[in-house]
Amino acid sequence: MELLAFVFYYITPYIAVVVFFGGLAYRVYRWWKKPPVAAHLSLFPRPQSRLGRLLDTLVDMFTLKGLFRVNKPLWLGGFIMHLGLLFVLVGHIRAFTDFYFLWKLLGWGKEEQYLFSAIAGTTAGTLFTIPLFYLLARRLSGAVKWLSVPEDFFALILLISIALTGFHMRLLHHVEVEELHRFFAGLASFRWQPPPTSTGSSFIYHFAFAQLLMVYFPFSKFTHTIGSVLSKMVARS
Amino acid sequence: MLTKFIETMRQRISRPLQYYADICVRCGACVEACHFYVASGNPAHIPAYRMMLVKKLLQQGGNGRGILDWYRETGRIDDQTVTEIRHALWECTGCRRCAVFCPFHLDTGLLVNTGRYALLQEGLGMEMTAEIGNAELSKGEIVDALKEFYVEQVRELEGRLREEWGVPDLRIPVDQAGARVLYVPVVGEHAIIPLAKIFHAAKENWTLSLFTATNHSYFVGDIPKAKQVAHWIVDEARRLGVQVIAYAECGHATRTLLQYFDHWFGEELAGIQRMSVVQLVAQYLAEGRIRVRPGTFTMPLTYHDPCNLGRNAGIYEEPRALIRAVATDFRELTPGRELNWCCGGGGGMIAEPDMLEVRIKAGRPKVEQIQRTGARVVVTACENCKTQLADLSERYGLGWEIKGAVDIVADALVM
Repeated sequence: MELLAFVFYYITPYIAVVVFFGGLAYRVYRWWKKPPVAAHLSLFPRPQSRLGRLLDTLVDMFTLKGLFRVNKPLWLGGFIMHLGLLFVLVGHIRAFTDFYFLWKLLGWGKEEQYLFSAIAGTTAGTLFTIPLFYLLARRLSGAVKWLSVPEDFFALILLISIALTGFHMRLLHHVEVEELHRFFAGLASFRWQPPPTSTGSSFIYHFAFAQLLMVYFPFSKFTHTIGSVLSKMVARS
Repeated sequence: MLTKFIETMRQRISRPLQYYADICVRCGACVEACHFYVASGNPAHIPAYRMMLVKKLLQQGGNGRGILDWYRETGRIDDQTVTEIRHALWECTGCRRCAVFCPFHLDTGLLVNTGRYALLQEGLGMEMTAEIGNAELSKGEIVDALKEFYVEQVRELEGRLREEWGVPDLRIPVDQAGARVLYVPVVGEHAIIPLAKIFHAAKENWTLSLFTATNHSYFVGDIPKAKQVAHWIVDEARRLGVQVIAYAECGHATRTLLQYFDHWFGEELAGIQRMSVVQLVAQYLAEGRIRVRPGTFTMPLTYHDPCNLGRNAGIYEEPRALIRAVATDFRELTPGRELNWCCGGGGGMIAEPDMLEVRIKAGRPKVEQIQRTGARVVVTACENCKTQLADLSERYGLGWEIKGAVDIVADALVM
């Protein structure tokens, strides 16, 4: 176990970063290599001007308004999950650096910072996690069951695993962000530092699952992160 | 099995199709969008499932026992797979209603179009449609030989209409150099008669095309052939020096005209406007070039947005303007416009006698939707929709009167 933990702390993170960015670049290159379709794949109505179409795409990206119109329960699940994810990702900036400017502006000390992070982080995590269970449950019956392949369950369970190990740290441990800063700075500069101890045992699992997600991401439906922007723009071209 | 299909598909997969295949999250938003699925309950009709089937075949290569095969569900290809893929790719009208429902707007129409061509290489289905496409293609080569006969028939029609309408100076010009508008009809005089009347009243300098707008090669995804068929018409337009190409009420042809032509022909189209004849007639009405009797239609009337004019080309207002000018009891369908249910007759299925039962079944959501309005007259602007709606009316015993958007204008026209 010691050895395995060592590998996940100090070896695989590099692989994960390389595969994540390299894989996404490869994915986009693979799309680019294919011949374009000699037609407008537009859906109407769509805004007249180029700027209008770009704005409409952006609004749709951030609100999923197209889905809202046709399927409200799915919109609610999908929208809240992505919103929670956005907040969670922003919050994770604190694992690498901190919102020093913000804290200074608010005049908050360590205690206030921790309290705020605890409330905001738990809320964001909840917004992210509960819809994941809904999205998982709806795959177990009805027509969506036909549309569900192992990949779909794997993706959801992976996200849920990351979320739950994150909750474990958030709710049962008092994480010292300085420890995390030191650890990640060490990884980035190849001057390895000891792993954080204030996080309890969950950190290594959380960290390993996140790496798995990074490696898996470019070769899965998670590429909709990039691809959906293209397809939404094509539909308004 | 399906080796030719897989091979062709791999060659023909385009950029959007590749990322559609990669990014579909199978969320199921498309399930309720498809009239085929809603009517049949067959999973092979769910748009995302159609994509899954094709993807599964493209990922073949394992022995069906490995972990990757389990993960991707790529087992052996058996008769069941062949049946499913045929349902998935032929039983689709390419209406793209699912693309509106899809949060990413993934275009199942494009998948089906590409997939059909690949299935044809395998010898699986819709040969009739492909054959009609071939006939349209060869017409361009022998058009000079057909011309004399065609002109003679048009003259005969012209004479008949002059007498019938009491308009001795009515003209149906064919192959007329220097005309402003080249009108491209569909097969049958019903596509010429109302326009002859309207063009006469609008004092338009027009000419009838020697060709028809229909392009069956497009239905079966044979894009090079479809392009060549369309090129006969571009050639004709350039030879005659027209300023406007106006296509008859024909859905798929209008889509090629408005969404494909500039990619296909680019500079060749310089100075030539392209439009549906519905748009042209709406222009006449707006400019006061024609006058109609308001209240010609007093019975409840509804308009069915053909997918290729509505969702796929954005022609929503023009047909409604025509209807409002002549009808007093116009009732909109709900859901309407880009969420309008497809009639179930598109995608070339009309030409296939074998597909009759499938499309009658797939028309059920449409029937229910129209019944809710209580309309007695159903107006639409697509030849396929008209045929399908007439078939639905007959089979479900509904007694609808089916009219084209230009037909109602012709009926109400002040000569």
